[in-house]
Amino acid sequence: MKAKEAVGLLITILAVLLLLYEVFYVNLTRGSIGVKGEITTDAILVSTGFLLILIGPWLWLGDVPVAIKKLVEAKTGRKA
Amino acid sequence: MYPILLLLIVLLIYGIAYVFHGKKILEQKIVKADGSKPTPAWEKFDGVDYVPANKYVLYGHHFASIAGAGPIIGPATALAWGWLLPLIWILFGNIFIGAVHDYTAIMASVRHGGVSVMTISENVMGRKARYIFLAYVWFALVLLLAAFLSVAASTYVDVPTAATVAILYMPISLLFGMLVYKVGLNVRTATLISLLLVVGAVLYSFNAPTYLTYEGWIVVLALYSFLAAALPVWYLLQPRDYLNAYLLWAFVVLAVIAPLLLPFLKFTGPAYISFAAKGSAIGAPPGSLPATWDIAWFWPTVPLVIACGALSGFHSVVGSGTTSKQLSNELDALLVGYGGMLTEGAASSLAVILPAALVWDFASIAQSAGIPLELVAKAGINITATPNILKFTGAERFYTAYGFAQAMAWSRVVGIEAFPILFTGFKTFAAWTLTAFVLTTLDTANRLARFAWSEFFDWVKPRSPGLHKVLTNRWIASIISVLIGAVMAYPKLPDPLNPGKFIYAYSIVWPAFAGTNQLLAALALLTTTLWVYVILKVRGGLSLLMLIPALFLWVTVTAALIVWLIFIVPYLPAIYIVGTGTIVAISVGLDFLLIILFIRGLRMASKQ
Repeated sequence: MKAKEAVGLLITILAVLLLLYEVFYVNLTRGSIGVKGEITTDAILVSTGFLLILIGPWLWLGDVPVAIKKLVEAKTGRKA
Repeated sequence: MYPILLLLIVLLIYGIAYVFHGKKILEQKIVKADGSKPTPAWEKFDGVDYVPANKYVLYGHHFASIAGAGPIIGPATALAWGWLLPLIWILFGNIFIGAVHDYTAIMASVRHGGVSVMTISENVMGRKARYIFLAYVWFALVLLLAAFLSVAASTYVDVPTAATVAILYMPISLLFGMLVYKVGLNVRTATLISLLLVVGAVLYSFNAPTYLTYEGWIVVLALYSFLAAALPVWYLLQPRDYLNAYLLWAFVVLAVIAPLLLPFLKFTGPAYISFAAKGSAIGAPPGSLPATWDIAWFWPTVPLVIACGALSGFHSVVGSGTTSKQLSNELDALLVGYGGMLTEGAASSLAVILPAALVWDFASIAQSAGIPLELVAKAGINITATPNILKFTGAERFYTAYGFAQAMAWSRVVGIEAFPILFTGFKTFAAWTLTAFVLTTLDTANRLARFAWSEFFDWVKPRSPGLHKVLTNRWIASIISVLIGAVMAYPKLPDPLNPGKFIYAYSIVWPAFAGTNQLLAALALLTTTLWVYVILKVRGGLSLLMLIPALFLWVTVTAALIVWLIFIVPYLPAIYIVGTGTIVAISVGLDFLLIILFIRGLRMASKQ
């Protein structure tokens, strides 16, 4: 595994844990994520999870999928 | 008039238009689409922006991007004229202008390597037109980013459960993409898994609000827009928009089912109220003097009110921006471009105008449907304070009409006592649908701004390739636009029209957006009309099918902008005159400059 992929995997795990913790544990125990009209730690954590989940899997698995590459190469005759 | 009859007429008109106007004339006779020609998605494949997509996936992306809040808020506001005139405009504008504009923008771009309609203008109107056009569009996109950042942030503050849905929706979309592209699962199974998760997320979110301040959401959404606009399309944009299409279809199909369940209820709303509505309908800022005058004449101002539902300049930027770079086959463009526009018209007419026309007078419709007024009150509608739909603001009109019509229909199935809970449920569903499209538009607009930015700096490349590489780097180009948008959406300024209250900075120039967007539509349609005439060499009656709508739109939008300059701008506070007034004045100047370039291009082509 390349360094970039390892970082991506770590970010993905962190993002998933943050989202699961906030959306399920925090919401089920407190009835909401965050407090109305305030910037709370929970709101920051869930937002961080929301943004990190966009980056993590891309770094981890985000090369152009082989299936698409092969399709393009077959159609155009050029290396994609 | 029975809603079911009108519904059938509308559906029939769309069906006929798709086959005869779209396929037989536009696709086969004017553009002569060829399924064997390689598209830019294959020829310029880069794994980030140029990536071939399945036509249904692309349809989902194109539709979700062009929809935004436009097909919903505009028609709801247009009810100030009654429901018939807006419906006629949507059908007419949608078929003869909007769908032609969107389809030809995609096809012109596909035939020019996937560049934007603004860059294509160079081939038919000259180099000056191209750079003026690109700068104008880039600015309009930044303004759009500011407005949509603000709309999304305000919605999440007002409807915190919608924020939770959005947060859960992203990982599900990414999962769908990974299942299809990485795991190799077939699309049907992956769709089923993802949709089950989406339904689960939506149901869970009913009791899971996420609270953050307006300013906090602006920062989070700006970061989201920055990342989403620079990430590869196959990774987030395609899967997310593909799933969004199901949300949209659920929304439209439900809108069609409701009149089927209520076949004998009649409209309670007036088909026609007045030819001249209040100035507030065409964007005169609330509290200003023109907002209270009857200056919103249906013609020429209707395009300033009903944008996306009938036609919108933003669509040509999407069509020749993200869509053309993903089109796998020229023959897919009809479904994606023409079909996408008709679907948007259907969303406007079937999901906004018809429900509103049906439930216009709450007491009257409740009586006809046999719903006790106590249940209506229990649903949160105070019939004394709000006897009809016009008492609500644009967005609220839509939520209320949609929720009310659905609750009436489904309470016949599950029992009349369920009316209040059904009303709340469908009203929330309508709000979620709106925000899903707003979020999509937010990152597509930033991606498009990046494209416009990159195309604008083409001239730097031969002089300084290194500088060009930095300027057009996708991460740098993405952050510049969204940063300016966020700066315009974040700060509050004292509202000069309502002392003691505040407005967000972008509001100073936002009233001009409707005009600039529709002017863009007129200019884009003139460009593709000229493209058809000059490059495709289509002449005679077929070319008139594009030329007449293009000139009609130009005259209409120009007249509407002049109405703005004469009747609204002089009566605004100084800060609005500097912001909005300057933009409208520049737009009118640009409008005349580009029509001169258009006529010159047409004359030169005629001599050839």
